[in-house]
Amino acid sequence: MEDFEPIVIAFCCHYCAYTAADLAGTMRLQYPSNVRIIRLPCTGKVDVRHLLEAFEKGADGVYVAGCMEGDCHFLKGNFRAKKRVAWAKKILEEVGIGGDRLEMYNMSAAMGPRFAEVAREMTEKIRKLGPNPAKKAERKAHSAERKENDRPVQSAERAAHSAKV
Amino acid sequence: MEKGKEPQRKEVEKIGAVMVVGGGVGGMQASLDLANSGFKVYLVEESSAIGGRMAQLDKTFPTNDCSMCTISPKLVETGRHLNIQLMMDSEVMKVDGQAGNFSVTVRHKPRYIDISKCTGCSECAQVCPIITTSRFDEGMAQQRAAYKLYPQAVPNAYAIEKLGIAPCRDACPAGQRAQGYIALIREGRYDDAMRVIKEDNPFPGICGRICNHRCEEACNRNLVDQPLSIASLKRFVADRVYAQPYLPADPLPYKFEEKVAIIGAGPCGLTAAKDLRKFGYPVTIFEALPLAGGMLRVGIPDYRLPPQVVDREVREIIDLGIDLRLNTPVINLDEVMDEGFKSVLIAVGAHEGRKLPIPGANLPEVLINTQFLRDVNLSNMGIESGNGKPHPKSVVQNRHVLVLGGGNVAMDCARTAVRLGAAKVEMACLESREKMPASIEEIHEAEEEGIAVHPSRSFKRILDKDGHVAGVEAVKVTFMEFDGEGRLNLQTEEGSEHILPCEVVIFAIGQRAGLAFIPESAGVGVTRMSTIAVNPNTYAATRPGVFAAGDATTGTAYVIEAVAAGHKAAASMHRYLRGEEMEPAPRPELPVVKMVKEEVQERVAKGEVNVTPRVKMAASPAGHRVSSFTEVSLGYTEEEAKAEASRCLACGICSECLSCYYKCGLNAINHDMVETQEEVNVGSVILAPGYEVYNARLSQEYGLGRYPNVLNALQFERILSASGPTLGHVQRPSDKKVPKKIAFLQCVGSRDQNHPYCSAVCCMYATKEAIIAREHEKEVEPTIFFIDIRAYGKGFDAYYERAKKEYGVRYVRCAISRVVENPRTKNLLITYLDEAGEIREEEFDLVVLSVGMVPSASTKELAKNIGIELDAHGFAKTDSLTPLATSRRGVYVCGVFQGPKDIPETVAQASGAAAAASEILSEVRGTMVARKEYPAQKEVKEEEPRIGVFVCHCGNNIGGVVNVPAVKEYAASLGAVVFADENLYTCSQDTQEKIKKAIEEHKLNRVIVASCTPRTHEPLFQETIREAGLNRYLFEMANIRDQCSWVHMHEKEVATSKARDLVRMAVANARLIRPLEELTKGVIKRGLVIGGGLSGMTAALGLADQGFEAVLVEKEAELGGNLRHLKTTLDGKDVSRYLEELTARVTHHPRIQVFTNAVITDFSGYVGNYKTSLMVGPRMFSRDVEHGVTIVATGGEELKPKEYFYGQDKRVLTQLEMEAFLHGDGRKIQELKEVVMIQCVGSRNEERPYCSRVCCAEAVKNALTLKSLNPKARVTILYRDMRMYGTLEEDYARARKAGIRFLRYEEERQPEVTPKDGRLEVTFYNPVLRENLTLRPDLLVLSAATIPADTAELASMLKVPRTADGFFLEAHMKLRPVDFSSEGLFLCGIAHSPKTIEESLSQASAAVARACTVLAKDQIQISGVVSVVDPDKCAACLTCVRVCPYNVPVINKEGVAEIEAAMCHGCGICASECPGKAIKLQHFTDEQVMAKCDVIIEVLSDVFKGERV
Repeated sequence: MEDFEPIVIAFCCHYCAYTAADLAGTMRLQYPSNVRIIRLPCTGKVDVRHLLEAFEKGADGVYVAGCMEGDCHFLKGNFRAKKRVAWAKKILEEVGIGGDRLEMYNMSAAMGPRFAEVAREMTEKIRKLGPNPAKKAERKAHSAERKENDRPVQSAERAAHSAKV
Repeated sequence: MEKGKEPQRKEVEKIGAVMVVGGGVGGMQASLDLANSGFKVYLVEESSAIGGRMAQLDKTFPTNDCSMCTISPKLVETGRHLNIQLMMDSEVMKVDGQAGNFSVTVRHKPRYIDISKCTGCSECAQVCPIITTSRFDEGMAQQRAAYKLYPQAVPNAYAIEKLGIAPCRDACPAGQRAQGYIALIREGRYDDAMRVIKEDNPFPGICGRICNHRCEEACNRNLVDQPLSIASLKRFVADRVYAQPYLPADPLPYKFEEKVAIIGAGPCGLTAAKDLRKFGYPVTIFEALPLAGGMLRVGIPDYRLPPQVVDREVREIIDLGIDLRLNTPVINLDEVMDEGFKSVLIAVGAHEGRKLPIPGANLPEVLINTQFLRDVNLSNMGIESGNGKPHPKSVVQNRHVLVLGGGNVAMDCARTAVRLGAAKVEMACLESREKMPASIEEIHEAEEEGIAVHPSRSFKRILDKDGHVAGVEAVKVTFMEFDGEGRLNLQTEEGSEHILPCEVVIFAIGQRAGLAFIPESAGVGVTRMSTIAVNPNTYAATRPGVFAAGDATTGTAYVIEAVAAGHKAAASMHRYLRGEEMEPAPRPELPVVKMVKEEVQERVAKGEVNVTPRVKMAASPAGHRVSSFTEVSLGYTEEEAKAEASRCLACGICSECLSCYYKCGLNAINHDMVETQEEVNVGSVILAPGYEVYNARLSQEYGLGRYPNVLNALQFERILSASGPTLGHVQRPSDKKVPKKIAFLQCVGSRDQNHPYCSAVCCMYATKEAIIAREHEKEVEPTIFFIDIRAYGKGFDAYYERAKKEYGVRYVRCAISRVVENPRTKNLLITYLDEAGEIREEEFDLVVLSVGMVPSASTKELAKNIGIELDAHGFAKTDSLTPLATSRRGVYVCGVFQGPKDIPETVAQASGAAAAASEILSEVRGTMVARKEYPAQKEVKEEEPRIGVFVCHCGNNIGGVVNVPAVKEYAASLGAVVFADENLYTCSQDTQEKIKKAIEEHKLNRVIVASCTPRTHEPLFQETIREAGLNRYLFEMANIRDQCSWVHMHEKEVATSKARDLVRMAVANARLIRPLEELTKGVIKRGLVIGGGLSGMTAALGLADQGFEAVLVEKEAELGGNLRHLKTTLDGKDVSRYLEELTARVTHHPRIQVFTNAVITDFSGYVGNYKTSLMVGPRMFSRDVEHGVTIVATGGEELKPKEYFYGQDKRVLTQLEMEAFLHGDGRKIQELKEVVMIQCVGSRNEERPYCSRVCCAEAVKNALTLKSLNPKARVTILYRDMRMYGTLEEDYARARKAGIRFLRYEEERQPEVTPKDGRLEVTFYNPVLRENLTLRPDLLVLSAATIPADTAELASMLKVPRTADGFFLEAHMKLRPVDFSSEGLFLCGIAHSPKTIEESLSQASAAVARACTVLAKDQIQISGVVSVVDPDKCAACLTCVRVCPYNVPVINKEGVAEIEAAMCHGCGICASECPGKAIKLQHFTDEQVMAKCDVIIEVLSDVFKGERV
């Protein structure tokens, strides 16, 4: 599994973690492109369903990044998220995907370096854990029901673009 | 005061605008409150960005919130507000007029970057070669001269720091930006360096060799070691660039028809020709010689200036498209004019050498400098001189040559003669050796080549032996001087005649212009000195259209002067031809940055400058060089040049190298900006200029500036900051190691002779820094050396306790005597006197000085300009009963300028000042504000998505990494995308218009911008699409800069691939977004104030004076609260009278309705629309009040202590009782002999772990009153820490001076009181004396705790939180001190926490200002991002009711959950918790989130499978 590249999804709250991610950019801190961010108003909006479905669809790792404890812009959204993450970890463990693939992080808006560090840390950790075991089975079924309209219109054209880059 | 209004002194036409001075957190808060309540605001800030000190802080106490997180939204809101006009880089000069109508003169300093054009893309900083220290990082990091104060700065625009003109540039006649090209050499950017040089001088290779470089004499580096080798660096650049093959530039376009002639292709003529050609004129040069270059080509020997360098530089000019006519001597000026040239420049130089009119001067072996050199130069090229005379080589070869003259031309002649094979070469000149005009290097090199010099000689005759030269008869000169008109005054030594033997004589005693071609009839005047007469400002000759410049007008001078003259002449000719004013327009005058020795030495001491002599340039050995004309100086290697360049001190900071100007794609850079002044009309002024930290270098005993490991607290704050110079790693400057032992020294620049006040915040910030340092690095052991710990604010004492117990912060009560560095380890040895008076020593790795707050010099200047009084320390003078008013009516103050204070008090005062400033303008509210009108929204709900994607290059920031055209093409290929475009800067004004047009043309109903971050730019683009008729929510952003191009800078393919994915995610999401309705609700313009004490009455009166109705509810039978028990303030104000007046104003105000004996029984509604039920009066009538806002001012009271026989022994009083006693029976007061006060009774203990804040001052006040009434009485105050913060410190000092004794007791050993023999006996352990003391007072006064009113029931009705201590909890400890987290609810006074009269007054006004931001609106707009319930799915399980942090969801009459949109904050917690999925958060629906998830997984799977890059 040496050449395995993990897919990592980061659910970030708008006020702290997403801002820290921007700051990491401002400071030109490099981190792997394996991590992709989904912005939410608050980590309190992260649904257990989002977490589990992400794995079901083929993510290898997921993390939730919110404000420092006690600093939530919405008072206690990050505590809610913490509980849900703990719950989802348990389920993942039980179904054999592994709870370690899911984490919760807290960071302030000024912690650009921490954001980059977490991104690297998580990618490395998932790389070590290997691909999401649910992926093989699930991906096949899943790709059949892809919505064509989200995708490039012509695949030939798309190949041309790819070639250009 | 009738009707609650001050009578109008004089009718003035009021202006509905306010000026706020200072853009820190106070200034921003005041501006926002004013702008949100209907006033136009001008926010004047002297630096380049708003944010002030708070932006520099890492965390804030006592919550350890990230400072930047909390301030950042405020920055954005202030920056974007329609009615706040930011005036950056500006200062207030003058305030005329009176309250209600001021005319303020504001000075705008040049920023050199146009804020309206700058998008903050950072490209100017990326190319700026000038490195300077960052003020934001307190000198601990570097930044460029083009800078943004900090990453999140607002306005998001760069600025250029320019101190003035560097002395090198100032000294250069042509104004060469030497500092600029030197910096570029250091960076290895030689082409750019060349461009800079050529801005001012077309001859870098030439001047790099033969310039007399006055720049080097002026160089500030002379104060350190040796000046920079500026000329040699210039030569290096030229050599380096010319080593590349020459590629001629395309000829320049013509813009004008007028033909211009230039006579003479020397440096002056060529410079002018280049400039005129660049202006766009057809230019012809007439040159008499067979080649161009003038003196440069034929007057300077090749070993000094290789001909190929001249040819190259001449060619570059001619190739711009200039008609050069060689071998074309102008015989008659009129003929040129007749050829149709509209203007002529005479730049013929001074090519005619002179001989002295002495006997023998006409002998055949007597030569003339210019002719000699010209003939040699031409013959070296194989061109015959053509004058029929023998070749100079044949004249000098194997002969003894004597050169007469001591200048550089004489040197050239002598050294040329050596190279032609002369048997012996000597020189003789008038001047003494020291005063010889030739450069020292020249003389030195000449001597190396075997040339002997005979200085101080005058020449009588040339000896004639058979018609040939046989020597020169000379006399010795004792004195020589040229007078002002150029006449020589000479004294010689009698009888000193002697013969200098020789066979050839070369005269090198000066040259002049050959002006024979100008007939007298030409109308061009000539001076007595045989130069052309010109106007020195314009170089216009006496005939219109004719100009002259260079040596022809000045006599022989240096190349650089010819260049300068050429520029100036060309500019004049351009103005002449365009019919403009002939005299040049005055240029912005910048000061010359001349340093003084101390300044430079300080930089050396700080390690910013290293002492290193200049890098020597290699020369070919004398033996080699005399035999040929090859160049003597060999030039710098790249390594040498870079080393030499790094010696530059960058004196001017910005060097105007114009790198930024050429880089900026928005034309935002303008180095010609000048200072301007503007007059602004406003109704009132708020001053919030903030403070400086004390310059602890002045307290030398601490070693700041001398020892690297001594920092001030602000520097340490930057070190702690994750975005600071060490990225938040705690390390000491000397060796970057983690310091184990850190000492914080308190009261540096506070509580001393020069600063007799307490800075109010240092105890807490030191505690915070200690905690954070330890959080960052576990091994850190912080120690705080202090006098008193002043943890007097809300939650502060608990924080202090946590620091001690949880973080192990050690607190040592002592006085520090000095700090000494161990030079080997750079550790610091602290000597201090402990409490028991013993001297102790301890070593630390790092010392942090808790520096106090001082008003800055510019603040004092501001006060003077505005005409307000300051107190003795330089803070604004205010009164304890009108804390926000300055001595000038209509001018208000807030923040530290009013006195040292922390952030929440500053914010509260800022809101309070906004209330005060707008109160006098309430009738003109809304008259100056702009309101935006939008077109009707397009109905797109039913339409299929038609998405437009705009991909941004952000200059190079995205475009330099991501293949933007590829991303655009990809976007266009995605389903539902009907339009895609790319822009250099998507946020620029013209692109907004492009987006609107595209929406129209392509019928877009969704817009995506792929650029920077939605945090800063989403509102801008939402505004744009709204202006085009689209609902704001039909917008989506892809963050391809901050989270893509910047974090994958070195992986262009990865970045491009990720950018495409991010765009695709945005498209997937955009397909699902829906227009959202933004509901509006009316506002009931009435406020309810709960509590009729000082705060409540002030708030009610404030609302009423602002023009709104107020309902004041008091549970007791009368108004006044605690104020009824107070008689005076510490500064002697009569509180009883104040209360009387206040009560009268409240009860008589037509807009205030007072209910006493009233209780609240029900409360419902939301911001703008509340309904409260009351039971009123002794008979409990039921009343309902409808109101738009609610202010809670329920206050508190003095605790009735259980300790110390209070209530049992009538000699034991509380402080309030004592105050009443002191205003009672005078005889009883006189009887007192001994009074003891005990502090912290019921406070700072387990039951009430908070500090009651007011008791120390109350005790001091009563003690002082007692002392004044009965000076014989002994007063002793037993305390734990005297918390006399801020200016109260002075009262504390006053009390000690009055003989009041302050003795400390320890928390663990509380004083004991026992009644003994009919007297009270107080026994306590004093840690200073280390023994038990006993006092027998006549009165024992207890400083009892302040406890909150019982508000449990009210809190649950209002659904607002309280602290564990029972005080109400504000929305945010720092930035929203008077807001509850639910909108429309505010708090003030002791209900918030214990506070003084002054503080309650500020807070009450603050609550008014905050309330006015609601009441001033007719309608409230509600965000569309709210949770909505699907009633069909709701099972009324109460989960949402339980989890909502704001208690918004309720189960309605239909038995399902209902969420009032006006109250919802949009966090989505309920939506995620709802087990039935009956709730969705609009704009962030589960479908949307999962659509993004799908895209990520799909694209990354493809990428990692290798299907795509």
